[in-house]
Amino acid sequence: MLNQANLGLIFLSAFLVNNILLIRFLGLCSFFGISTQVKASTGMGIAVIFVTVMATSLSWVVYNYLLLPFHLEYLRTVTFILTIASFVQFEEIIIRKKLPTLYRAFGIYLPLITTNCAILASAFLGIDYKLSFVQNLVFSIGISSGYAFVIVLFASIRERLEMSPLPEIFKGIPIAFITAGLMSLAFLGFKGLFQL
Amino acid sequence: MKIDFKNFINGIWRENPIFYLMLGLCPLLAVSGSVRDSLGMGIAVIFVLTGSNLTISLIRKFVPSHVRIPVFIVVIATFVTIADYSLAALSPQIHRNLGVYLPLIVVNCIILGRAEAYASKNNVINSILDGLGVGIGFTIAIFIISVIRELLGNGTIMGYQIMGANYTPFLIMIMPPGAFLVIGFLIAIKQGIEKRGKKC
Amino acid sequence: MKKKELIGGVLILTIVTALSGYLLAQVYKITKPAIEKQKKIEEEKINREIFPEGEEFAEKEENGVKYFSVLNSEGEEIGKIFTTLSLGYGGYIKIKVGVNKNGEIKGIKILQHNETPGLGAKITEDKFLSQFKGKTVEELYLKKDKSEGKIDAITGATISSRAVTDGVRKLLEKINKKR
Repeated sequence: MLNQANLGLIFLSAFLVNNILLIRFLGLCSFFGISTQVKASTGMGIAVIFVTVMATSLSWVVYNYLLLPFHLEYLRTVTFILTIASFVQFEEIIIRKKLPTLYRAFGIYLPLITTNCAILASAFLGIDYKLSFVQNLVFSIGISSGYAFVIVLFASIRERLEMSPLPEIFKGIPIAFITAGLMSLAFLGFKGLFQL
Repeated sequence: MKIDFKNFINGIWRENPIFYLMLGLCPLLAVSGSVRDSLGMGIAVIFVLTGSNLTISLIRKFVPSHVRIPVFIVVIATFVTIADYSLAALSPQIHRNLGVYLPLIVVNCIILGRAEAYASKNNVINSILDGLGVGIGFTIAIFIISVIRELLGNGTIMGYQIMGANYTPFLIMIMPPGAFLVIGFLIAIKQGIEKRGKKC
Repeated sequence: MKKKELIGGVLILTIVTALSGYLLAQVYKITKPAIEKQKKIEEEKINREIFPEGEEFAEKEENGVKYFSVLNSEGEEIGKIFTTLSLGYGGYIKIKVGVNKNGEIKGIKILQHNETPGLGAKITEDKFLSQFKGKTVEELYLKKDKSEGKIDAITGATISSRAVTDGVRKLLEKINKKR
């Protein structure tokens, strides 16, 4: 059904309305781990955008030109995860050689990203919604920037939280979850955006 | 051959993947709004975990170290696909409700984690037990959370009306924020229990 | 030594992947008929809820529009069931509309939606949907939108209610145009 919408709607839907972290709950493992510092989160966010857009597009091509014509749809889980893992590996090598400054900026997060549910989800959802290549591209940009946006926001809140007085039992993970819950509540408000 | 029951029990309680290790969050939060879907997810996880642990333990002596991660991933992805198609054939409704979160089990940190930490280093029987233990631990955790969420958010459990007809559901519970809040509070309680234990 | 290790590793990976591919092909073959059957059962169940007197539901296509032709025990067509999409509050809503021989609405069902639980989600309830039975195109408006409209919106879910109402009306207009 999403494939009937225009590109702007697809982007908004992926970025805000169905935000990958706060509404779809994907990409959480790294989310709670990295988001204690704004700097680290920004690095992770950029890395995620880069990998997601490339890997999703690559997976789209693999699915529509390799799997579908040969009726091998059931291999999509295996092929997608292998595509993403190899792409990340490959990319890490290239970036380390050609763009060392970039590598120092976010290279360490690259291997972590392989198990980031958000990327695999982006690939699957693009196929499930039967998006065209361009729609898929916009969709993956929306998803990954939604992730980056939220993780940086969240990190800035958590940095402040470190210094506030909290009951012992809430320190650390519990308050992080509750904060995420409140942010999620705020994002739920975007649901009516489709009417614009 | 020693049977490692201690590890089995560990998976369920002391090192419960969710409450203790904070792994495998993505599917947990998404699916725990409904008890029926949570049990479906739990069974899928037990199946994948046990199957992949078994297979990886079987082939562990043949897999060179530098390709072990891709090999583990392929094995896990295979079991996830089997679970995916089997569930679609057996219960299309649960399959539809689980949606994209079912194939996402493949990147669930729990499964790769157990393969790496245990199955690749131990014999088959104990690996099976390990998979079962952690899988059951996950299922129990997601069951508890889903009971709280469905009961408070919908007044039902598994679709059966539990709360009286006048009960206005605490709607936020079955929506995304509710998931975060419930887990946050549960972990706070767990931390509280642990702290009190230390004082003794 | 290192090269030999690398080749050995890649070989193992290839074997494992090939085995995996073979295994999955078998699983796919086994489960495919069951999955197809389940889909048909579900679709038929919904069709039957709209047209209980229907004996058989045949898939047909006319002018590029797919629908189910509802046949009674004598094989005569007593109605048609269409599927349409409408943009609601939280995304697209998929609606099944059953129309009898005279072009009147027999019943509607919501197949898929993303509306707010407890509010917009109430569009799936019979209380709201049963309003559509027997309504003409002129009556298919929310009461608050047009005076001829006969559909009551759900309290607190105007947008969702409107989406369903407008979606059904537009479908009827399209069908009637073809007569």
